[in-house]
Amino acid sequence: MATRRQRPVIVNIAEDEDFKVLSEKRYSFNWKSFKKTTTVYKLRIEKENDILGVMGIVDIPAEKRVEIKLLATSIENIGSNKVYDRVAGCLIAYACRIAITNYGMDACISLVPKTQLIKHYMQKYHMLNAGRQLFLEGHALFLLMREYIE
Amino acid sequence: MKANTKKHTSGELAEALVYPVTLTPAQKKEAASQLAAARKKAQEKMNDKNKLALQLLQLKFQVQDYIESKKYDIEKHFGYFLKQYIEILELKRKAFAEDISIDETMLSQLINMHRTPPDYISIRLELHSNNIIPADYWFKLIEKQKEHKIKTDQTLRDKEKKFVHKTAIGL
Repeated sequence: MATRRQRPVIVNIAEDEDFKVLSEKRYSFNWKSFKKTTTVYKLRIEKENDILGVMGIVDIPAEKRVEIKLLATSIENIGSNKVYDRVAGCLIAYACRIAITNYGMDACISLVPKTQLIKHYMQKYHMLNAGRQLFLEGHALFLLMREYIE
Repeated sequence: MKANTKKHTSGELAEALVYPVTLTPAQKKEAASQLAAARKKAQEKMNDKNKLALQLLQLKFQVQDYIESKKYDIEKHFGYFLKQYIEILELKRKAFAEDISIDETMLSQLINMHRTPPDYISIRLELHSNNIIPADYWFKLIEKQKEHKIKTDQTLRDKEKKFVHKTAIGL
């Protein structure tokens, strides 16, 4: 997961201490305000503490679905000069992993996209269009997993 | 400075962000029915190979989570996950035993943990799963059980006590 060479990463649930460093300035959103309504996961390089990406999800067992409510890579990993590539893809794949662990072949992940980003999510992450939402299920889910998680 | 929508292209933003979007109750209702319909179509298109691959991934992640957790669960031994594996494949035990060149009696012993799995079984299981479940996962399940036994076996401690004549700090 890097611009030049791959680095092993770890995804864990963000702890109270982490919210002190998850500033809006570096991670685009006010993460504290999503602490109660979503489960927030952080991504970092193995054996390093710096958080490179954050994702807030909601598990919906009744629908066998995990919804990504918000996601952000750290500011230095956005755009053409980013330090690391594939941070968001690894986090999305982690949401897929949670869905597969819980729901097996019925697993689904979804998100509500901003209109102008729809085609990019579809191209980049194999997402399928369901009108207001994008989702990954079945073959598409498997494709993303193969691309991002060993 | 947070992500700048003017500075970055929409492609760059999509590679880095999912914006929180709030829907009205009516929009939520519409989104839910659209998604249900689209998922139904996607499920209909899913072939048996994809279904099986996802079920095997589910088992892989369940094993991974268990071997990485600090908790020991007496139910979750090598044989428990092996039984799950055979059930996912919908194979008769006899057929599966033939697949990996062992006899059915040995397979039953492995499932019921009446026999410690030899190392080659982990390798054969990795190969049988097309590398979806690596050999070291199976091996670590055996190790986890052994670790628990060595940590908690008081009978073995009592038995071995007579062989230790002196202790390091002489107490």
